[in-house]
Amino acid sequence: MDKHQGNQESMARKLDTLSARMIAVLLLVHAVLLPALFYGMLVVVENSQKDAFIDTTRIYARIFADFLESSDTLNSEAEIIRQLDSSILGGTGIYAALQLNDKLLTSSLMDPQDGTAFNEDFDFGEHGDDVYYLSIPVVRDDSTVVLRMGFDESPTLLQIKDIKWTVVIILLAYLVISLILVLLLGTLLVRPLRRLQRVSRKIASGDYSRKLDDKSNLYEIGELAHDLDSMRSNLVGVNAQLQEEIHEREVAQAKQKSLEARLRHSQRLEAIGTLAGGIAHEFNNVLAPIMLYTDLALEDVPEKNAARQKLERVMSLLQRAKGLSQQILLFGSKTGEAGQVAVDIAPVVEEGLSLVRALVPATVEIRANIKHDLGLVLCDAAQIQQLVINLCSNAFRSLSRIGGHIQVDVDGVELNDDFTDKHPRLLAGNYAELSVSDTGKGMDDATMERIFEPFFTTQEVGKGTGLGLSVVHGIVLEHDADIIVSSKLGKGSTFRVYFPLIDDQSANNEQILGI
Amino acid sequence: MARIIIIDDEKDVREVLKEVLERAGFDVEIAANGDDGLELLRSKGADVVITDIIMPGKNGVETVHDIRKHFPKTRVIVISGGGNVAPMEYEPSAIKTSAYLASATVEGADVTLTKPFDRQEILDAVNQLIAG
Repeated sequence: MDKHQGNQESMARKLDTLSARMIAVLLLVHAVLLPALFYGMLVVVENSQKDAFIDTTRIYARIFADFLESSDTLNSEAEIIRQLDSSILGGTGIYAALQLNDKLLTSSLMDPQDGTAFNEDFDFGEHGDDVYYLSIPVVRDDSTVVLRMGFDESPTLLQIKDIKWTVVIILLAYLVISLILVLLLGTLLVRPLRRLQRVSRKIASGDYSRKLDDKSNLYEIGELAHDLDSMRSNLVGVNAQLQEEIHEREVAQAKQKSLEARLRHSQRLEAIGTLAGGIAHEFNNVLAPIMLYTDLALEDVPEKNAARQKLERVMSLLQRAKGLSQQILLFGSKTGEAGQVAVDIAPVVEEGLSLVRALVPATVEIRANIKHDLGLVLCDAAQIQQLVINLCSNAFRSLSRIGGHIQVDVDGVELNDDFTDKHPRLLAGNYAELSVSDTGKGMDDATMERIFEPFFTTQEVGKGTGLGLSVVHGIVLEHDADIIVSSKLGKGSTFRVYFPLIDDQSANNEQILGI
Repeated sequence: MARIIIIDDEKDVREVLKEVLERAGFDVEIAANGDDGLELLRSKGADVVITDIIMPGKNGVETVHDIRKHFPKTRVIVISGGGNVAPMEYEPSAIKTSAYLASATVEGADVTLTKPFDRQEILDAVNQLIAG
């Protein structure tokens, strides 16, 4: 059932094609045109045949009459009848008679009953309407003579019938030939259209690379191809523009997202800093009397007393607690820039590195590429050394067990707006870039998100305080710097710290302002 | 004998400091807030005032201001727990004690010390101030 419907549908589609339409139009036109043509031709042929028949009979009769006018035949009746007979035998007549004065002489070949010739050759059966009669006067001085003759029209009518069939056959041949021509023309028209259609379909499916050729000889199709091609190239342009806009939007969104992430990150660090600072404040207020009481107790307890040793242990633990508290306070706190002086950062970093070399085993290779005379950085040398030590010991920890090396570089960089847009803490300008890279195990995103938080550590409990990088963060804040971390699991991590370089101009300004 | 007044809202801090300084031979008075401390200063006088900075009521900065105004000869040591304190009503975010310490210095505090400090540090500071 479905198949049947499908067939019907495909039939309908076939009837909808250009060729089918042209054939339909042709047939419609011919249905009106051909019968009219046929009828018209028939009328013309019939008339001309009849005219020719009549002319022929008249000429024939006239010639015979002329002969009778000049001949002596009329003197003998027998001779007249013989002449009439021969006129029938020599022509297409079926009736020949001569009115000689009052006497009607007829051919001997005629049937006296119906007045037509009975010779076998002239037996046309019923003659009736098909016989054309004419009377012609034969002008003679001696007598009044009228020649009467009858001619059969049926052979002529039969001829016309034959011609009718010929015309029908010619017209049918014409129809067939024009059908073939229409089909050829249809194909000729359809082929370039199909070509256009193939390319258009490609374009519709998103392939804009194929050019629509306008090679067709047909002007309209050439024009259509040309127009379609300009549409295609417009589409290519519009498409490229759209792609670009989409790309720009994606870039903007990514930028927005990264800014938001950074903002969240710094807000989070700030919140943690506030919390840590609050806790440290209370902690210190408790720690202070404990420390002083322990000190007093140590004085009270005799030197040999067993409690003294324990109190000394308490005292050293209190010193450690104090150190921890101070490190917490370094994170996220700007305690003032009193210790900062404008120096070349390179020797400061080198000094930090020499301390690092003393701290990490000799098996760990530390490569350094430190450029001098980049300009001055307003910094606290002790804090910068602390920063170098903390970054390097962090790098060393990620190298442990798997081995590798630490790369420490100092270089000058100029940061442009693109960069500072992503890192809003920085302003475009010249910076000293300190980078510490390791070939260690790297970090995942979740770890990277939290590395600067105090007490966040990936080390086993008891190893590492989780304060190293949070102290780094505090020092970075203190120096109006920024730190950027990149890392790849299994490949290692890089920490880049950007210290703003102060130019002579701003150094002078600061002196003038007394800052 | 030099007299020292200790102002701190923490009972343990002021009492332990009193003992530390008394053992070192100073005459020590204690107060729990800035107003009491100033009252003591008025009634008894002092060579050195040691004051906490974050206190309910009159805070350390205001106390230093008043001391400087009325007792220009008295030396002042400001002590603080460091870190920051919870925001007060009119302050938009947590205020770092470092800001208070800086303000106190501007008001005329002679020495600032961050808790915890050991016995020697506070004694050194006091002795230095008394020696002038």
